[in-house]
Amino acid sequence: MIALAHGHRTTSVGFQAEKVKMNNAVIKSKEITLLEILDRVLDKGVVISGDIVISVADVDLIYLGLKVLLSSVETIEKLRGSPFVGPMQEAR
Amino acid sequence: MKLYLYGIIDSSSQIKQSIYGLEGAGVYNIPFCDIGAAVSEICRPPQNITEDAVLEHEAIVEKLMADFTVLPVRFQTVIEGRDNLLSMMRGYYKDFKDNMERLHNKFEFSIKVIWPADKIKENIIKALKKDEQKKLDLDSSSGKRFMKEKFEKYKIDKEFDAKADKFIKVMDIFFSKFAAEKKNKKLKTENLLMDAVYLVEKDNERNFREAFEHVKSSRPDFKYLFSGPWPAYNFVVLSKKSCLPRDSEQADLFDKVTKDQILVGADSI
Repeated sequence: MIALAHGHRTTSVGFQAEKVKMNNAVIKSKEITLLEILDRVLDKGVVISGDIVISVADVDLIYLGLKVLLSSVETIEKLRGSPFVGPMQEAR
Repeated sequence: MKLYLYGIIDSSSQIKQSIYGLEGAGVYNIPFCDIGAAVSEICRPPQNITEDAVLEHEAIVEKLMADFTVLPVRFQTVIEGRDNLLSMMRGYYKDFKDNMERLHNKFEFSIKVIWPADKIKENIIKALKKDEQKKLDLDSSSGKRFMKEKFEKYKIDKEFDAKADKFIKVMDIFFSKFAAEKKNKKLKTENLLMDAVYLVEKDNERNFREAFEHVKSSRPDFKYLFSGPWPAYNFVVLSKKSCLPRDSEQADLFDKVTKDQILVGADSI
């Protein structure tokens, strides 16, 4: 679903070095995939509000999750601007 | 009974695929009128955000996407019981329908373009210095120097911004040709020239990819990140009015719900 589209070629490198580079590329690609997914799943889509919803992931929870995982600049900026001050203070 | 909500789908029929959701429970459709809510039952709302849970949520939405138009719901949306869910569906019904019409047969693609900001700035400075040499300023009092430096910085930033606009405009011409809608952000960071999402019709996917390849090959010194097709997370628009419908609207909607629909759902799994 996701591909690093910039050219990244190596020449005259040994097999091991090539393998390490390939592994790094795979890891990098996975990290970016996760970032893309997080950006969407945690921050976008249908957000239902109202008393009938007992738990739309609350800001603190999302924030703690993002600290462990990854986040987009935009998400963090939005969270910083939110009225929930507890974990935000930790981040500064 | 707590229901974990994955997405709103454009069908009131049962999901034919066997999809297993969080806690291994089956994902099923709770119909409301001609649409439905894809849910699974959970004992308690997830306490932690884990990589696995996020990926699982996304995987389920993508499986649904194969058969339905899906309005993806944000991670960890849990609703207490079927009645509350139906009440929510009633409140948002018009919004959901409008979105489904707009997003039917369309996917989201993400394009990020990274440019070498340092090099771009270097080139701008070089060009500006050339101009400066032509008009040598012999007066170098500290006040004037300060003003001059400020003005130079302003000119560099302005030129940098103008260059970004120019590149984005050209790239966007190619992408927009095959997109129904777009959201484009310029220079979120100095290096992230463009962070865009495009809503593309299924039939235009190939053309859109080709347009991307064309742009990529024309500026090989930039880096590109292309991803998709995604469920249209970025293009779901709910009106703020969407709380509960007025009484008259509620009555209309209740008329559309059949007895069968009320019974279909959890019990059928």
